[in-house]
Amino acid sequence: MAFSSSSCFFTSPNFTVNRQPISANFATAERTASFSTRSQRITNQSSLYDVLGIQIGADTVEIKAAYRRLARVLHPDVGNCDSSADEFMKVHSAYATLSDPGKRADYDRSLFVRQKMSVRSSILSSSPAGFSGYSGRRWETDQCW
Amino acid sequence: MKVKLKLKGIPLESGVELERKAEQLPWSSEIFLMSEEVGYTVASDSETTATKEETEIEIAIGIDIGTCQCSLAVWNGSEVELIRNTRNQKLMKSYVTFRDQSPSPVGGVTNQLSHEYEMLSGSSIFNMKRLIGRLDTDPIVHQASNTLPFLIQTLGIGAKPFLAALVNNMWRSTTPEEVVAIYLVELKALAEARLKRPVRDVVLTVPAAFSRFQLTRIARSCAMAGLHVLRFMPEPAAVALLYAQQQLHKDSIADSGSEKIGLIFNMGAGYCDVAIIATAGGVSQMKALAGSCIGGEDLLQNMMHHLVPDMDTRFASRGLEEIKAMGILRVATQEAIHKLSFQPSVQIDIDLGNGTRVCRVIDVQEFEEINKGVFEKCASLVTQCLHESKVAKPEYIDDVILVGGCTNIPKLKSIVMGICKRNESYSGINPLEAAVRGAALEGALASGVNDPFGSLDLLTIQINAHSIGIRADGNSFVPIIDRNTTLPARREMLFTTAHDNQTEALIVVYEQGDEQQLLLGYFKVVGIPPAAKGVPEINVCMDIDASNMLRVMAGVVMPGSGTKNPVVPLMEVRMPTADDGHGLCADALYRSLGSTLDLVTLHNKLNA
Repeated sequence: MAFSSSSCFFTSPNFTVNRQPISANFATAERTASFSTRSQRITNQSSLYDVLGIQIGADTVEIKAAYRRLARVLHPDVGNCDSSADEFMKVHSAYATLSDPGKRADYDRSLFVRQKMSVRSSILSSSPAGFSGYSGRRWETDQCW
Repeated sequence: MKVKLKLKGIPLESGVELERKAEQLPWSSEIFLMSEEVGYTVASDSETTATKEETEIEIAIGIDIGTCQCSLAVWNGSEVELIRNTRNQKLMKSYVTFRDQSPSPVGGVTNQLSHEYEMLSGSSIFNMKRLIGRLDTDPIVHQASNTLPFLIQTLGIGAKPFLAALVNNMWRSTTPEEVVAIYLVELKALAEARLKRPVRDVVLTVPAAFSRFQLTRIARSCAMAGLHVLRFMPEPAAVALLYAQQQLHKDSIADSGSEKIGLIFNMGAGYCDVAIIATAGGVSQMKALAGSCIGGEDLLQNMMHHLVPDMDTRFASRGLEEIKAMGILRVATQEAIHKLSFQPSVQIDIDLGNGTRVCRVIDVQEFEEINKGVFEKCASLVTQCLHESKVAKPEYIDDVILVGGCTNIPKLKSIVMGICKRNESYSGINPLEAAVRGAALEGALASGVNDPFGSLDLLTIQINAHSIGIRADGNSFVPIIDRNTTLPARREMLFTTAHDNQTEALIVVYEQGDEQQLLLGYFKVVGIPPAAKGVPEINVCMDIDASNMLRVMAGVVMPGSGTKNPVVPLMEVRMPTADDGHGLCADALYRSLGSTLDLVTLHNKLNA
């Protein structure tokens, strides 16, 4: 995962603790600067909304409920031994970003750029006008409905 | 021989380990012998049938080791049940009395005190929770050494204090770990007698203020007693779990998302903890956690100093007369403080020997004035916690949950309720049993017990009470995992060398305590290729798993060599590694190495 720095190996997928592969990308808003600039390279990666299993427009109550539902299944304190800390950390980091209005706005903007990129590449020929700048939804204002 | 017999029910591996432990402790074989002789009346009826059905799972028991009293609880298959001792007590006094030869030391689980003074005769050690894992430079240890009737010698050098009990007019040395272990052996024997099965796994509640160093000491005591700590649980986290269970019964729509914000204020004899939690659908999420070593013992010490201003010097010699006088003073002060919770003033009339008599009336105002500092500290913990939890207004708090013995004190109650702008506190919880009940719930959860009625569909999402970091940027503390970070957690940060051609770097790991940083351990990263300062990248990663184990990992990467090519093998170190003299050690490291192996922060955190 060539994120911000070359030496990010402890949280990279190749690094293992307890013989469990670490699949999580701890992408919170602090890292979204690098996120957006490299967005083309990570379009195949699932969004934080996918991690929580919710719609992009989900409200705070839905986000919290989804987080709790997943925590009850994935948290290592919940009896079944196969639940791994990494899965929970991934869910928590998604929750931490999406439950904070500021961080969520940043993330949504980067996500928007990301989607636009993929959309543009696929429909480039049919829609030459395309999208320009942040003409779409301004998530930081829209998300407080 | 007896030890072997007692251990029959325990898996071989642990039995061997125990035997080894037992050899190191001259008294432990006697303890096992004693617990047989005492012969607990074994409960024969329905009480234990539920646990029999689940013989395949060993349900961990919950233990609340208090500064003043302890309790035991276990999930009995349908609910949490407190285990009573032979005297039908659910709350047992925390102390261990040392005696000459035979019988061996006895603790408050089995021993019957004829009078409180017996506990204050110098032969009993108590208040261990405030002493364990502390150095002789710690102000808490100094206060204790002045006010407790047994011997605590401090030299102020950053090593372990010397602790001794008076047996036949001779000071016999012991350690806080040993005292706690003796007590735990009694608790274990009690639980085994009641549950009719071997007990090994426990969930222990601990104050939020406990350092990792203190946790390892308690874990060592448990190992000495043949117990395995499945989880350490900050007391507010245990209370939060119990609260989550109670709320579960209240709202049937589990995942409704309508969460309740609770403030937990817990103050016992030794420690004060505050936590803000958000609870819904059986999940309590901790938002902020703060704690301090402040409690009823401080109120007591302040009051004793107020009554006898020269007590530190007066009792310094610890002769029999002085010990007796200290006992009289302590008992009278304790009673006075209890009474002041219910009446406006109290009369104190005690004879301390040598013609010294203390005869005074103390009213509530005076008591509150004497302990102003304690109350202010409590108030600041609550406001700090509220601030850090990002709960915008105190009005958003749905329930104020008061637990611990000190919350009976009207002043303390009014401070907490005042900050939260509430008139009534949450009433559904027994303030003295909440922590141990929560621990028993966690014990059932962590042992993998399922409840068909859903009473165990619970979870407390815990947070880290102290930030953990390393020394860098010229002898300053650089946090890597901040406090109030949700656990389990993994964070990494990049550092670089402070000098040209620096080939080694020292990673010195600290935990930020209430007032000071404690050295957890250190290790050296070697084999850094010679380069100009600021070029090599040293990645330091900290990982706290669900059982609160801390691991520090480090690796070296040279720019351009790529992620997959660390220059030298990565290092993974479990913390803490420092032992008894960790205060001394920090000084020695700095003195002998200076800044030669220093690190400098390279970037901001890679992930937050």
